Amino acid sequence: MTFDPTLLAPYLPDLAAGARLTALACALALAGGLALGVIVALLRASAAPLTRRLADIYVDIFRNVPFIVQLFFLFYGLPELGIELNAFSTGVLALSLAGGAFTSDVIRSGILAIDPGVIEAAQVSGLSRRVIYQKIVLPIALRTSVRPLGSVFVNLILTSSILSAITLNELTGAAKIVAADTFAPFEVYALLLVAYVTLTYLVSLTAGALHRRLNRERALGAN
Amino acid sequence: MRYTDFTVHDILLLLQGAGVSVALFAATTAIGLMIGLTWAVLRYYRTPVLAPFFAAMAELLKNSPVLVQLFLVFFGLPVLLETDITPVQAAVITLSGNTAAFIYVIAVSAIESIGREQLETARVFGLSRWQILRKVVAPQAAAFGLGPLTGLLVNQLQVTSLISVIGVLDLTKVGAILNLRTLKPFIVWTVVGLLYYLMAKLIATTCARLETRLRAHSQWKGL
Repeated sequence: MTFDPTLLAPYLPDLAAGARLTALACALALAGGLALGVIVALLRASAAPLTRRLADIYVDIFRNVPFIVQLFFLFYGLPELGIELNAFSTGVLALSLAGGAFTSDVIRSGILAIDPGVIEAAQVSGLSRRVIYQKIVLPIALRTSVRPLGSVFVNLILTSSILSAITLNELTGAAKIVAADTFAPFEVYALLLVAYVTLTYLVSLTAGALHRRLNRERALGAN
Repeated sequence: MRYTDFTVHDILLLLQGAGVSVALFAATTAIGLMIGLTWAVLRYYRTPVLAPFFAAMAELLKNSPVLVQLFLVFFGLPVLLETDITPVQAAVITLSGNTAAFIYVIAVSAIESIGREQLETARVFGLSRWQILRKVVAPQAAAFGLGPLTGLLVNQLQVTSLISVIGVLDLTKVGAILNLRTLKPFIVWTVVGLLYYLMAKLIATTCARLETRLRAHSQWKGL
C-alpha cells in the first residue's frame, strides 16, 4: 500500500486547465439554465393551459431521465439533424437544459411564495401585467430563491463531471488522463474528490452570503 | 457487415439492461438504507468520534460527483489495496455509500422534526432512549422522511446510469452499444429514456401510496 501525492505535482497545470473548463461550462450553463428556468417558471405559473402543460412536460422529462442519457441523446442525435456542435457546446447545452428544469422548480416555488396581497396591491395601483412581473414578481422570487439556486448550481457542478463521458477534458476528464499517465489512480481521484468538495463548498458559502445580503431588510422584520 | 436495424430483439436487450439497473438500484438502496440509518442512530445516541466521523463522511459523499467516487473505488482502491475489484462490486460499494450519505441526511432531519416535548414526556414516563427511538421517534420520522426519500430514490435510480461508464451492462450501457451498432441515436436514446422515465414514475407512485398508509395513523379521525 503506497500513497504518494507528490507524484501529482507536475500534472497540476493540466488539472488546473480542466478546472477552468469545468468552471466555464458551469458558469455558461448557470446563465443558460437560469434564463430557461425563469421562462419556464413563468410559463408554468401562467394562466394559458397549453403553454403551462408543455412547460410541465419539459420539467417532468428532464427530471426523470438520467443526465447521461440526455447527454448522449444530444451528442449522438444532434449531428443526425445536421446540427454539428463540438463536445463543449453540447455539454453546455445539455447542462443548461437539465439545469433549466431544476431552476424552474425553484423559481416557481419562489413565485408561489409571494404574498398575493403584494400582487393585488400592484394591480389596484394600475400596473400592467408586464410591469408587475418585471418589477415585482421576478425580483422577489429571485431574491428569495438564492439559497436553493445555490444548491442547484452545486448539483450542476457535480453533474458536469459526466461531460467527461463525451470526450470533454474538463476536471474529471483531465484527471482521467493524469491517472493513466501516472499509474496513481487513487491519489488522482482522491485529490479530485477534495477539489470538487472545495469547489461546491465555496459555491454554497457564496450563495449563503448573497442570500443574507439580498434579504437583509426582510431578516430585520421590516417587511 | 453490420446489422443496423433496430428490432424487437433489441428491446429485449434493453429490458435485460433495465433488469441489471433495477437489481443494482434495489440492492444498493437496501444496503444504503441500512448504513445510513445506522449512522443516524449513532448520531441519535451522540456516540463520540463515530458520529462526527460519519457526519463528515456523509458531507464528503454528498458534495462530490458520483462519477469521481466510482473512479476512486474502481480504479483507485485496487491499486491502493493491491486487489482486484469487478465493475459490479465497485458499483455496489459506490452507490451504497452514496445512497447512505443522503439517507443519513434525511433520517437526521426526520428525527429532528419530532418535538422536544414529546421526547421529554416519554423520558418522564420512564422510557429508555432505545424505547423512545422505537416507539415514539421511528414511526413519526418514517412518515416524515418518506417524502424526501421518494425524491432521493428517483434520483438514485438515475445515478445508477453512471455505472455504465465503468462497464457494467446496465440500461445505459446496452443503449450505448445499440447506439454504436444501429447508428440510430434518436430511437435508441428515446427508448432508453422512456424506460428510465417509467421506472422513475413507478418508484414515485409506490412511495406516494406508502406515504398515505404511514400517515394514516396520525390523521385526525374526530372524537
